[in-house]
Parts: sequence; structure tokens; C-alpha cells
Amino acid sequence: MRRLNILGASLLLALVTFPLLASASTEGPELKHAGISLDRDTLRKGLQVFSETCISCHSAKYITYRDLMDYPEIGLTRKEADELRGDKSLLSGLVTALSPADAKAAYGKIPPDLSVIARAREGGGDYIYSILTGFAHDPKGRIPDGNYNLYFPGNNIAMPDPLSWLDHDKDEEADLKEQARAVASFLVFIGDPHQQERRALGRWVILFLVLLTLVLYALKREVWRDVEH
Amino acid sequence: MIERMLNSPLAQWLDERSKVVQMIRAHLLEYPTPKNLNYMWAFGSLALTVLILQVLTGILLAMFYKPSAMATLGGYTQAFDSVERIMRDVNYGWLLRYMHAVGASAFFFVIYMHFARGLYYGSYKKPRELLWLIGVLILLIMQGTAFFGYLLPWGQMSYWGATVITNLFGAIPVIGDFLLQLLRGGFGVGDPTVNRFFSLHYLFPMLLIGIVVIHIHALHVVHSNNPEGIDIPEESTIPFHPYFTVKDGFGVGVFLIIYSYFVFYNPTAWGLFLETDNFSPADSFQTPAHIAPVWYLTPWYTILRSFPDKLMGVVAMGLSLVLLFFIPWLDRSKVRSARYRPVYRQMVLLFFASVVVLGYCGHNPPTVVLKLVGRIATAVYFSFFLFLPLVSRFEKPKPLPREI
Repeated sequence: MRRLNILGASLLLALVTFPLLASASTEGPELKHAGISLDRDTLRKGLQVFSETCISCHSAKYITYRDLMDYPEIGLTRKEADELRGDKSLLSGLVTALSPADAKAAYGKIPPDLSVIARAREGGGDYIYSILTGFAHDPKGRIPDGNYNLYFPGNNIAMPDPLSWLDHDKDEEADLKEQARAVASFLVFIGDPHQQERRALGRWVILFLVLLTLVLYALKREVWRDVEH
Repeated sequence: MIERMLNSPLAQWLDERSKVVQMIRAHLLEYPTPKNLNYMWAFGSLALTVLILQVLTGILLAMFYKPSAMATLGGYTQAFDSVERIMRDVNYGWLLRYMHAVGASAFFFVIYMHFARGLYYGSYKKPRELLWLIGVLILLIMQGTAFFGYLLPWGQMSYWGATVITNLFGAIPVIGDFLLQLLRGGFGVGDPTVNRFFSLHYLFPMLLIGIVVIHIHALHVVHSNNPEGIDIPEESTIPFHPYFTVKDGFGVGVFLIIYSYFVFYNPTAWGLFLETDNFSPADSFQTPAHIAPVWYLTPWYTILRSFPDKLMGVVAMGLSLVLLFFIPWLDRSKVRSARYRPVYRQMVLLFFASVVVLGYCGHNPPTVVLKLVGRIATAVYFSFFLFLPLVSRFEKPKPLPREI
């Protein structure tokens, strides 16, 4: 078995260092746990929040109305897609009506497209959820209400509290959290819309490979039986 | 069945005109292989497997990718858009892209293991020096290929990584500025850069294939080393087929399971294979908080950062790679395998550790502690080459076995 030592040690080292490497770069307060879910109810609710709130400033241009019908996770009917798109083309992306120039005048910067935002931020869905439910009063009183966010790097966020989290009533809290969770889930979904298909396919691929490898191992044992080594 | 195929009239017809059957026999079937090779010898055929996977997925991806930095809606570019189209609209495009991205990391992991095996068992020593030289050349071409490829998605890390690395060439005296502009196709990284990087990203793997063929040819002239590192008689070898076709086949199976885990369940590998920042479109007005290359280039990046002077850093980084070419002549010991070289064994393990530590330091923002650790690891890295010619003077090798 000695010959396996180096190989084993290296693999172990790689397995141990990889997650360590990855986790070492996170900073700031620990993110809230969103409880991301890709079931249809959550994603549809998230789509609703997106198309009622987010889209007033943000686009998600890689997702078309047609996609919202085609992805089984959302599966809008043609009628629902028509209601949502208004006079836009079915092949149009989810694009905001706010022009970049107006956005710049109103908020000082152009709101980023949200198609892959969940993948472009450390923490993904948890980060988005934390931002949406992270508006607070600046303890130092320097950053105005609505721009102070506990989870945004530097705390000064240009996006003004979209879900009106600040000073919400206690009885609204559950609903606001649910909205944040749903829209975070929606953004996680559209960041990589084939992710469920990928995981489902992966099961069979890996099952096949494990069986194949077992057969190859048995074959190797059989072929090598007559070799002294 | 193979015999029947090789004796068929068609095969004979081809053989008379190309010696193809003789080549298959000599290189794939009868090639005499030491019977005591351990699983560290599987990484050669694994590297070939990954190369083939990369070329095939790469050809298919190139059918859909657009090397263009032309701006599109939402701060994106045509290049970024085309990658997202591949991920979303191309049939199984997500699979191709993840296989290619995970494959890049897998390729480096396999090649680094292949190098480690060569260093540990002294596979670079006479008569295998040329084999080693070709191997180092392959590594350099791979690093170039990976660097060119990483610009293509035109994300933040693509853009800033390319900016930082091309800048290094600007530090070279006299011709620096010329080289810098030649690489970028302009004063900054832009549309001409992504065009030429795409071209080079396609060219380099073709060079790679040619050089890999030469590497395998050179191997089959001098034959494989073995864990004992001794020359072995004909009787201690076994034909490549079926013994190593099945053994390497099993190795490929294990590899593909791990590879598939990443492709299907963890394609970004916690942000190591596909960096989180690279999902933001390139923005020349906003520098990311922390610019680092992908994990497989970070050891050399740390060496670069360990010197306060830019030119010195560039020279050290270049030297750290160029020195690899000289290992067969720096090492004066006649004994190959570290199993019988107690001092060298400690040295080479320390060298491996220094590369891992360098990689860790390069991946993370340079804090005071990490800077110091990086410098120590750099010193350890270079001292390996410094002590290599000296160690055989006082090292007492253990007695070598007569046979395996």
C-alpha cells in the first residue's frame, strides 16, 4: 500500500486545500441564510417580485418572455407570458424601461443587469437576500436612510430599499422575508437556468461511470493476476 | 479481435503504405512497460485524455463563441453575450462550457501530478533528459493557452487579469513597450486583444498536440522509468496491452468520476475554477478589489509579488519556470528514485509543499503575514534548485535493488 501513499496524500491535500482556498476570501458580516429553493411556487413568486419591483430599474436581459414559458421550473402559459410582456416581443429580454441616462441622473450610477448577478457576488442567493433585508439606520448618521445597508461593501448602497424593509411593521416581516427569499431564488435560478437539468443528468452520468470503473477494476485485477508485482 | 483487425486486408494494405500497423503494435500493444509502475504513472494517459476532452469541447465552443468586445445592452459585450448564449440557448452548451472550464483545471492538476511523479522518481535523468525538456515546454504552452483562454469570456477577472499579466511584459527593458502593444494590439486590453487571444487560444493547443506526439515518441525511444528508478531487463517488462490499457483505463474511470462531480455538481468549484468576479462584465473603470489568476497559475503569481521591484519580480517568475529546464543537469546524482535518496526525498517533498503554499498565497489578498509566507516559500522554491547540484556530494544513497 506504500505506493499509494503519495497519491493519497496529494489527493487529500487537494481536497482539504480547495474549500479552504475558496472560503478564505470572504469578508464583511456573515450573510443571512436565505433558504434558496428552486420549486415552481417560489420561482413564480420571485418572478412576480422581479416584474413588479426590480424591473423598474434593473434588467435581466438574458431571460426572455419565451424562456419563462420554456423553462419547466417556471413554465408560464402563453397567456401569462402575454400579460407580463405587454407590447414587448416574446423574444425580448426582461429589460427595464428606465434609461441609463435617467438612472444615472436619479441614482448616480446605472443599476447592474441581474441575469447573472447571483453568480457574480460572493454568497450568491444569500448575499442578495441579505442585501434586500439588510437596510438599517446608519449608527453614525452619515449615510441617509435607504442607502445604508449592513451587507453592502462600504455600507453605502445606491439602491434605495426596494422592499421597504426599513421601519417595517412586525406583522409585515414574514411577508417581506418571503419576498426577498423568492426573488433571491429567482435570481439564483436565472443565473444558471439549466442547473436542475445539470444535476439530474449528473446522477446518471456518475452512476454509469462508477459502474464502468468497477468493471474496469475487476478487469484490471483479472488481467494482472498472472503478473508478480 | 484486435489481432483480426490488424491482420485484415485493409490493415495490411494500409501497413504496406504507411507502417501504421507496425506503429500500433510498437506503441500501443507491445510497448514494453515496467511491471512495477504505481498509480502515479497513470497521470500521463490522464493528461492525454483531458487534452482530447479540451480540444473536442473547445472546437464545439468555438462554433458559438464571438471574440468581440463590442458593447451590448446592460454593460455587456458580444463576447460575454455569446458565452451566456452558450450557457442558456445552445443545446447542451452549458455542458460544453463547464466541461471546458473544469477541464482546464483538471488538465493542470493532472500535469502537476505528472511533474511531481517525474521529480520524485527521477524520471528526468539520463537517458530521459529530452523527454523532460519537452515536458517543461508543454507546461509553458499550457500556461499560455490557459492565459489566452481566460480572457475570452470578457468578465472582470478576464479583463484585469489580462491587463496585469500583459503589463508584466512592459517591465522588460528596451522592447517592453513594443511587446506590450504587440500582445494587446493597442495601448490597452480591448477588442483587438480578445481577437488575437482567441486566435492564439486555438493555435497553442495545436502546437500542444504536435509536441505531445513528440513527447510520447521520445518516451517510447527511452522507455518508461519506474518507481525503483533502476534500468530493468526485458524480462521485467510487460506489454502495454492489455496490462496498461486496462490499468490506465481504470485510472481514467476514477478521473472521470471526480471530473463529472465538478462538471455536474460544482462547476465553479467554490469560485476556484470559475471565479465569482468573472461573472461581472469587464469594466475598464472599475478595478476589482482583489485580482488573482486562477489557482493553477497562483504559485508563479506569488513569486512575482514577492519582489518589491516589478522587473525583479518578472525576472524571478520567468526564472522559476526556466530553471525547470535545467533540472536534469543540476541534479548530479546517478540514483534516480527518491526512494533511495534520503536527502533528496526531503528536499523534493519540501519543494512540492512550497509550490502548494505559493499557490495559497497567490490566491489570497497579500496581507502582511501572507506576504512574508509567500517570500519564505519563494526562497524555499529557489533553494531547491540551489541545493540540487550540491546534495549528491554528501548524500549517501540507500543500496539499490538489482531487480524490480
